[in-house]
This record gives sequence, C-alpha cells and structure tokens, in this order.
Amino acid sequence: MKRVWTLAGKDLLETRRDRLSLLFTLVMPLVFTAFFGLLFGGGSDRLPLAVWSGDTGPAATQLLGALERSDVVAVHRMTKADAEKAVDDGRQAAALEVPAGFSGDLAAGKPVTLTVVGVSGSTGVQAVQTEVSSLAGRQAVLERAAQAAAAAAGKPIGQPQTSVANLTAAALAMARPLAQQSLAHPVATLRVVQAGAAAGQVPTGFDLSSPGMLINFIMFSLLTAGIALIQERQNFTLLRLMTTQVHRWELIAGKVAGMFILTFVQQIILIAAGQFLFGVDYLRDPAALLLMMIATSLVASTLGLLLASLLKSEQALIATVVITSMAVSALSGAWFPLEITGPAFRFVGHLLPTAWILDGLRGIILRGFGVADVMPALVVALAWSAGLFVLAVWRFRLTD
Amino acid sequence: MSIVEVQELRKQYDPPKGVLAVDGVSFDIAQGEIFSLLGPNGAGKSTTISMLSCLLHPSGGDALVDGHSVVTDSQAVKEAIGVVPQDIALYPDMSARENLVFWGKMYGLAGGELQTRVDEVLELITLVDRQKDRLEKFSGGMKRRVNIGVALLHKPRVLYLDEPTVGIDPQSRRSILDGILALRDQGMTILYTTHYMAEAQELSDRIGIVDHGAMIAVGTNDELVKIVGEEAHVDLRVDHYLDGMVERWAQVLGVTKAMIDEDHAVLLVQDANEVLPRLFEAAAAAGSRITEVNVTEPNLEMVFLHLTGRALRE
Ligand SMILES: Nc1ncnc2c1ncn2[C@@H]1O[C@H](COP(=O)(O)OP(=O)(O)OP(=O)(O)O)[C@@H](O)[C@H]1O
Ligand SMILES: [Mg+2]
Repeated sequence: MKRVWTLAGKDLLETRRDRLSLLFTLVMPLVFTAFFGLLFGGGSDRLPLAVWSGDTGPAATQLLGALERSDVVAVHRMTKADAEKAVDDGRQAAALEVPAGFSGDLAAGKPVTLTVVGVSGSTGVQAVQTEVSSLAGRQAVLERAAQAAAAAAGKPIGQPQTSVANLTAAALAMARPLAQQSLAHPVATLRVVQAGAAAGQVPTGFDLSSPGMLINFIMFSLLTAGIALIQERQNFTLLRLMTTQVHRWELIAGKVAGMFILTFVQQIILIAAGQFLFGVDYLRDPAALLLMMIATSLVASTLGLLLASLLKSEQALIATVVITSMAVSALSGAWFPLEITGPAFRFVGHLLPTAWILDGLRGIILRGFGVADVMPALVVALAWSAGLFVLAVWRFRLTD
Repeated sequence: MSIVEVQELRKQYDPPKGVLAVDGVSFDIAQGEIFSLLGPNGAGKSTTISMLSCLLHPSGGDALVDGHSVVTDSQAVKEAIGVVPQDIALYPDMSARENLVFWGKMYGLAGGELQTRVDEVLELITLVDRQKDRLEKFSGGMKRRVNIGVALLHKPRVLYLDEPTVGIDPQSRRSILDGILALRDQGMTILYTTHYMAEAQELSDRIGIVDHGAMIAVGTNDELVKIVGEEAHVDLRVDHYLDGMVERWAQVLGVTKAMIDEDHAVLLVQDANEVLPRLFEAAAAAGSRITEVNVTEPNLEMVFLHLTGRALRE
C-alpha cells in the first residue's frame, strides 16, 4: 500500500516540475473563467423576469408592453408552472403574475394586486419590485386619466354648443383629482411571495463560467502524468518496476491515486479562485461541493488512466485530451448553459457525467443544492468512473 | 551449492507460430560466482533474464532462484534478485538521488535504512557529487551506473546484468567491470549477459555460449577454449578476388576451416607458423596478394566460430 503513495508521489513531483502543466492547469482556466464570465455577464444587464398573465385586457397589455420596453427587466412570457420553476431553478430573477380581471378592476377603480414571486430582499427582486411598481403605478394613473377624459366627453354639459376647448377643460378638471388620488393611493399593490430558499440568486457571468472552465480544463492537469505513463512503457521503467516486489494492482492504483490527487488539488485552487476572486458562491454547501469534487476527480482520473493506457505517444495523448475536453465541455454546458439549448442537445449532454456534475455545481452555487440534490450527479459519475476504470485496467500494459 | 538452477527453460513468443527465443536452456550458477551468457544479438539472452526475473512466463521448464521457483513463487524470487535491464529504465526528469530513493522504496526500504543505502550506492557508483543532477544531464556511462545502482539498493543475493556496458566509452566500461568484480568479491552471485567475448573472458568464472535460443557450450574459459583445441585464428585481407582465395585456402594443408567475414577471410589453422607460408604461396599462385595478416591464439570467439560456423560479431 505504501508503494501506491510512492508511485502517486512520483507523478505529483514530475507534474510539479513541469512548467507547462501549471499553465494548462491553473492559468488558462482562470483566464478563460474571466473571459467567459465577462462575456456572459456583459450580454444583458436586464434582470430576467418571468411573466404570466391571466388577463388580456387593454390595461394588462399596456403594462406588459411597458415592461418589455423596460431597461431594468427582460420579460419572458411563460405559463405559471414554468415561471415558478424557472424562479426556483434560479434561471429567472423573479416572476410576475398579472391576475385575471386586472384590466377590468383597474378600470372600475377597484384595488388590484400584482404578485411578484422571488426571494424578498434579494437584490434581483428589489430591482424587479421597484420597476414593476413604477410601471404599474403609471398604468393606473393612465387608466384614471383616460376614464376621466371619457367621462368628460360623454357627460351632457349645460351649454349645447359646447366647444372642444370646453370639453378638454372639463375632462382635465375631472381627471386631475382622480390622478392625484391614484398617485397618492397606488391602485396596484405589489405582493412579494417567497419562492424556495434557493431562488433569487441572479447568476453572474462567473457563476456560469467558473464551474464550466473547471470541467473544461480538468483533464489538462493529467497531461504530465499521462505522458509519464506512456514514457514509462517506452523506457521499460514500468516493466522494471515489476522486478521489484510491487504488484500490478499497486501500479494501477498508484497511477489513479496520482491522477485523482492532481485533479483534486487543481479543483481546490480553481474553486478557491472562483469563490474569492470571482465571487462565485461554491461554499453554500461544502458537503455537496466535496461530493461533486470527488465525482469530478474520479471521472477525470479514470479517463486519464484509460487514455494513457490506450495511446502510444505524447502527441496522441495531448491531441486527444484537447479534443475530448472541448467536445465534452461543449456538450455538457461548460461554455453555455444547457438551458438555452434544445431538448435533443440537452439529452445528449446528459449522457455525459460532466453535464450532471455541472448541473450539480451550478445548483450548489445558484440554487442552494444540498447533498441530496447532487446525488444523481454523483451516481452518474460513479457509474462512469467504474466503467472507465474497468476498461483502463483491461487495456493497461507494461510495455508497448 | 547452486543458487540459480535453470532447467530446460523454454520461451516461444506468440505461440504457436512465434519466435522460439529460448529453446530448452539449462545451467547452474554457484553461490558467489559470475556466470556469463555469451551470444550474438537475438540469441535469447534478454528473454532468459526476463524469465529468471519473473517478467515473462516460461513456455516450458522452470528455474529455481535462491530455492524458489520463478513459475510458482515469483514474489520470493523477486526479493532475492536485483535486475539491471539492457535499457536504461530510469526517470530522466528526476535526479540520481531521487531515482535511487524512489526505487529503494519500491524495494520496500524506508526511513534511515533507505537513506543509508542510497548513500552507500551513490558511493559505489561514484556519483556522490552529481547526485542532485537530473539524469537527463548525465552521460551514457553515468546513466548506466545509476541503472546498476538501483538494482543494488536492497542488497540482492543474485544480480542479473543484461549487457550493462553497451554504448559507453572504454573508461566507463572499465569502471563498471571493476565494480562488478568487486561485488563478486563481496560474495554476490552474478548473472551477466554480453556479446563481447573479451568481457565474458575477463569477468566470468563460467560462461554459457548461447545461439538461436540454445546453450551450445558451458564451462570455464579454459574449458571452452579447449573445444577448438590448439587451433589458431588467422584473419587475412587480400588485394582482390577474396571469394576465390578462400576456396583455395580451404584446401591448404593444416587449415581446418576457412570462411569470409565481410571484407576479410577467417581461417582456423592447426599451427600458424607452419601454415602461414603455404597461405602466401596459395595466394601468389592465384595471382592475389595478402595485404594484412592477423593471428590470434584460441579464444571464445573461435569457439563460437567453431561451433556455429559464424562469427560472434563484436
Ligand atoms: N516481445 C517479443 N516478442 C516477440 N519476439 C521477441 C520479443 N522479444 C524478443 N523477441 C525475439 O526473441 C529472440 C531473442 O531475443 P532476445 O532479446 O532475448 O535476444 P538477446 O540475446 O537479448 O539479443 P540482444 O543481444 O540483441 O539483446 C529474437 O529473435 C527476438 O526477435
Ligand atoms: Mg538482449
């Protein structure tokens, strides 16, 4: 057993000595995290607001139009169920319900209530709240003014040859107190409904890019160790090791342990950078985070062992790691969240363990995932690692 | 007492059609003896060492090393042996000391004992002052020394050395050969392989000559040389028409064998003093002129030539 750690330690030493691996393992992922983070974040400053409306009347339509033109929120019309789920999943900052009969009640001067679903106090909801009240208030004033105007026009006024000017003056006289009254007592009141505790976090670009780049570059830390294994086959050190009392299983275990530790250390550093440099809240549930890190390292180390067992040259290994990492990352939603893709893409992505792990990590960051929530990801990752490990052991050779 | 007993060892790669690399080889090595396997490229030396190191499973036969079977008790065998492979099987991006420490741990050494052994071995291979340098900066001879040093860390009872002097300068070779003799004097048993006749002759207590996977002769240097009797070895060069000359020389009285080795003739003769004038005459009669003569007293090279009809290429 001691030999396993000695073997793993040798790979760690060789990796530490390899300057290039530092670049691939830490510098590049951080640069890309920053780059993609700014890219995602800069695209739209407007808060995503899910809206469902039970009313198709003129006032409701006008309010929605105003919201759509708003600089503060970006409206996504959906059904009530979808909207609530989107808020729960943290994909929308908040949801707004325009109740049935909104237009009619407003016209009748009855009090109406708009419901905002979100986490009260969260920055996203506060901003949404302010914007919605202001637009709804304006809508109410508009409504009253229009009513006043209509009333003025329709009222039989004493003088038969009434002039347009008189009519306007009368309408204004009636509208003024109404508008004033409605400004003083907003007709539309806002009610904030608590969504699940997880909701309400407005994702920053870094929330998406940091775990994405973690997955994207995880295999890169294994290049040195993988190349070392290929070289050990070529220069007969692996064969020579078998003339010592080392067992074959210790050799394999040493390789996997080394790769596991390498990727784990890489994760610790990248996650710490995410947490403290980019403000990505990985530490919301440390136990769940630890499980996802273990899952990631298991998948990466077994895949690394398999690739280094299959491939016969450094160049082949480097090319394969780069191509696999890129393809797997794209499919798993490391570069763009899978939510924006179609169901087919999402399905294919979720054949890979990395898509599940990313769901887990982003769930922890944005939706307060706990241990139970990341279990599916852990199970998928364990199954994949087991399969990869069996293949790798089967293909493990002492010489080429 | 034999510490290594090899019994009818056989190895066929990729049976049933593959190369029969070792074909029923048997020999014994006594405790504290240097035994050499001498043979040309592809004779099966490395394959034999691999089987004795438990890296290759024999296709037939068995060997006992320190009383343990290489087939059924590989762990016990591995504890008794140190293996110096033909290739430099080390980590080039680690220093000499780091390599020794790593391999020492693989041999199960630890703590103070490990550090002491590493120091002793560094002393032995005279690399104390270069121990912190990475191997990739070392000369071929220095790497070879580390390659040997690794196999000595756990004080094996039997040391296998597979062509440990290939591709290095004469000075390094000298120091390695002296080191091996010193190890023998300390009581270590050594199995050495080489295709250098002179090395086998100088080092070995006993020699096994191998060719095409078979052991064709075993004995001390003197015993082996007697196989060719008193025959001397004559190398000749002529100015032209070598093919025809060799045929004529073969007929000359006192010549037991005549053959061409690349650009010169190799003859086995009963008595060089008597035969040489006749060889000159025969050449002159054929209109050819001898430009170079080399006479060697009987040696292992000639034994090989005698037994196989081919030269043991240096
Ligand atoms: N792994 C292998 N698979 C198939 N054939 C092999 C293998 N290794 C060696 N051989 C063949 O077995 C024969 C003996 O090879 P071996 O390496 O044992 O010879 P050797 O005496 O050590 O030669 P050298 O002096 O060149 O090292 C050769 O014909 C070689 O081609
Ligand atoms: Mg060999």
